[in-house]
Amino acid sequence: MFTGENIVQTVVGLLHSLYGMVGLSSFQGILDPIVAAVVMFHFIAVFVMFLVWMERKVSAHMQSRIGPNRVGVFGLLQTLADAIKLTIKEDVKPVKRDKIPYYIAPIIAFVATFMGMVVIPFDKGMVVQDLNIGLLYIIAITSFTVIAILTAGWSSNNKFALLGGFRSAAQIVSYEVPLVLSLVPIIMITGKLSLGAIVAYQQQQGYWFVIPQAIAFLIFITSATAEANRAPFDIPEAESELIGGFHTEYSGVKFAMFFLGEYIAVVVSSAVASTVFLGGWLPFPFMGFLHLPGFVWFMAKLLLVIYLIMAFRWTFPRLRVDQLMDFGWKVLIPISIINILVTGFWILLVAKGA
Amino acid sequence: MTDLLLSQIKVSGESQFGTDEYVVNLGPQHPATHGVLRLIVKLDGETVKETIPVLGYLHRSIEKICENRTYPQGITYTDRVDYVSAMSVNLAWALAAERLMGLEAPARANWLRMIFVELQRLASHLLWMGAFAGDIGALTPFLYGLRERERILDLFEMTCGQRLTYNYIRIGGVMIDILPEFVPKCRAFLDYFEPKIDEYEGLLTYNPIFLQRTKGVGVITPEMGINNGVCGPSLRGSGISCDVRKQQPYLYYDQVKFKECLETDGDCWSRYKVRMNELRESVSIIRQCLDRLEPGPIETKLPPVLKGPLGGEIYSRIESSRGEMGIYLVGDGTPKPYKSKFRCASFSNTYVLDQLTRGWKVADIMAVLGSLDMIVPEVDR
Amino acid sequence: MPVANEELKTKIESDFKDKIQSVAVSAQKEVILTVKPEQYLSVCKELRDNSYYNFQHLSCLTAVDYPKENKITVVLHFWSYKTCTQLTLKLDVDRAQPKAPTVENIWKAANWFEREVFDLYGVVFEGHSDLRRIMMPEDYTKFPLRKDFTDDGFIVKPN
Repeated sequence: MFTGENIVQTVVGLLHSLYGMVGLSSFQGILDPIVAAVVMFHFIAVFVMFLVWMERKVSAHMQSRIGPNRVGVFGLLQTLADAIKLTIKEDVKPVKRDKIPYYIAPIIAFVATFMGMVVIPFDKGMVVQDLNIGLLYIIAITSFTVIAILTAGWSSNNKFALLGGFRSAAQIVSYEVPLVLSLVPIIMITGKLSLGAIVAYQQQQGYWFVIPQAIAFLIFITSATAEANRAPFDIPEAESELIGGFHTEYSGVKFAMFFLGEYIAVVVSSAVASTVFLGGWLPFPFMGFLHLPGFVWFMAKLLLVIYLIMAFRWTFPRLRVDQLMDFGWKVLIPISIINILVTGFWILLVAKGA
Repeated sequence: MTDLLLSQIKVSGESQFGTDEYVVNLGPQHPATHGVLRLIVKLDGETVKETIPVLGYLHRSIEKICENRTYPQGITYTDRVDYVSAMSVNLAWALAAERLMGLEAPARANWLRMIFVELQRLASHLLWMGAFAGDIGALTPFLYGLRERERILDLFEMTCGQRLTYNYIRIGGVMIDILPEFVPKCRAFLDYFEPKIDEYEGLLTYNPIFLQRTKGVGVITPEMGINNGVCGPSLRGSGISCDVRKQQPYLYYDQVKFKECLETDGDCWSRYKVRMNELRESVSIIRQCLDRLEPGPIETKLPPVLKGPLGGEIYSRIESSRGEMGIYLVGDGTPKPYKSKFRCASFSNTYVLDQLTRGWKVADIMAVLGSLDMIVPEVDR
Repeated sequence: MPVANEELKTKIESDFKDKIQSVAVSAQKEVILTVKPEQYLSVCKELRDNSYYNFQHLSCLTAVDYPKENKITVVLHFWSYKTCTQLTLKLDVDRAQPKAPTVENIWKAANWFEREVFDLYGVVFEGHSDLRRIMMPEDYTKFPLRKDFTDDGFIVKPN
């Protein structure tokens, strides 16, 4: 049957025979993850290009426009054209910048978010490395973006960039808490941190986690949009009227890396949401008879969640900074804590008692 | 330029340049849509301590130019005084000149004028809605507003050939009669547009984020509003009945039925709601005017040279989309006015910006500025 | 509701007998009141506070330049929201040294109007809190809307 597992097994088999031909069979353990990471990197690069096109098309159709439709069929090559433009742009740098942090900041922003993709299972066994601390790893790694933003704001030697960076960092740090707290009930129920195991638990149960934990799903999606500095939480970006935000003094490829980092953060969060709450590579209910490979279901769910996040941007006005912090600390965190308590009681009384 | 900045701040009488404050320039070049307005904002962290508008970036000395142009030539300049709502300013000048010289436009011309001014009010409020929502952060209603505005501009183009600066309402009547297909197209547009108002209200009016950004922000109390010269929908949001169409009816506004839209709270949300309700009222007015349109002449017989009477003067007010627009003309027996003054709503409304934003956050400046519906060419002329 | 022009004119004549120079109903059906300079502020205050007049809204404050009569006339237009009546008030100031008291403390709306008159005509309003130019640049020396204004070939110097 045409399943993800079969594909992975076939490809790995081919790869191992390739090692044998070149004489590197003994380095199998090291080379396998490296090749997987390289494949994942290429896939993400192309996928993000597709996502930028998707955002432009989604926003255009929501605003009764058409969006890019000249460069390539349906404008699909538009992002490629934009990427080429950004690479050949003049690299304008502030004179009094702090040189080494200035160069490192976009690299950290890009690398940290991309590293989160390492543990996402596209199908059973189709994952770069299914760490048994998967969720913890993702949450820890995506926190690195705070360092990138603060470094960018500081090294630009620009009063306004620094303040924009501070604000953005405050926003990300405060929305980390409800992000994590919304995942805690899942960990409590399954007892595992590995993403592959969570999907297996959902398969065994027969229903996805979004049904008992709908509140946690909503809190997770909201916190994920705040983490990525996207509307309605895009005060750091939209303050370009007044204060530039941390990426004011960046141009060309470095600017591209910041925005790539933002899109990859969206992809990572949506992937975690699809895996943990929506059943990952499991088929949609009542559609299992189609016998499609698991990664098709996973990509469908991923695109659905990404579409939802994109729709938020073009529908809602943006929150003021203090309202944003109020919302995170005074609304999301109490609700997620209550959710944890209720889940705890349920586990104690219903699951164990039964 | 920094010397000018500091001298301006000291003269304004506020506290000295403290160590915690910093001064930010919301420069004349803006991503936001309001035009070339420069705001010097004194901030203390996030909080605004003072907002100083610097005007004059769009000063084109229209009043002085009009002193060197005849009365009919002056109408072309009125289009540029408020290019988002040009029909209203055309009408203001035409009415002022007619009152000065004792002329009267025929009935059909007056009904046509009413139709076009109310269509212009719709177009102006749609652009305002888009700009206001865009300032708050919702970027989509701007596109919707412009889409509807395109249909109105098509109606204008059908009639006078212009989409922005019409020069249509003339002294003594209107420039040219409407085409036969205007009336059915206008009715079709109104039928299409009226449910759309509810759609756009559904998107914004009770949205929790929108409410958080606009409720309680920028409150204009009635006494403060009247004393500071606020006019138009901005004052009607505070509950004061100030519509010139009701208080000093011109054209045939006393013969059509419409409600004056009032709200009581005086905050940004009330001003938003007033303008959304005015959209509905304008639709009703246009329908009534279309029903009462009779065939007839569109221009009175004018003397070959229009001369303002020696020693005559007039101050004539109308309700333009932004508020009260007054034109003061002084005649001196020649074909050119001795003095012309445009009293524009945005000029007085922008004055209260400083008082409304003290103690609030930076993001509220944009919300308040958007809700006051100010247009820079009106402020600077 | 609106007070008839004749009625308004007679009431003003009887209330402000010697504080005004003249009051008349013009051919364009407006009541125009010319006030004596010393009584300007008191007349304005009375017009705002008196419950019969109730001219709470200062609609416009502008000036007209009459070089032949060697005067600049400051013109104010009032509107009463309660009685729906309009009134015009005029004050003549000397053209060589144009000075007038400020009505900013009576109607705050006058703040920017008076700044504009100062900028474009040169009339100094005594007691104004912030009298500086509003449209023209701060270091401009001329008064554009005067009838004898020439711009001397305005050349922008590159810096």
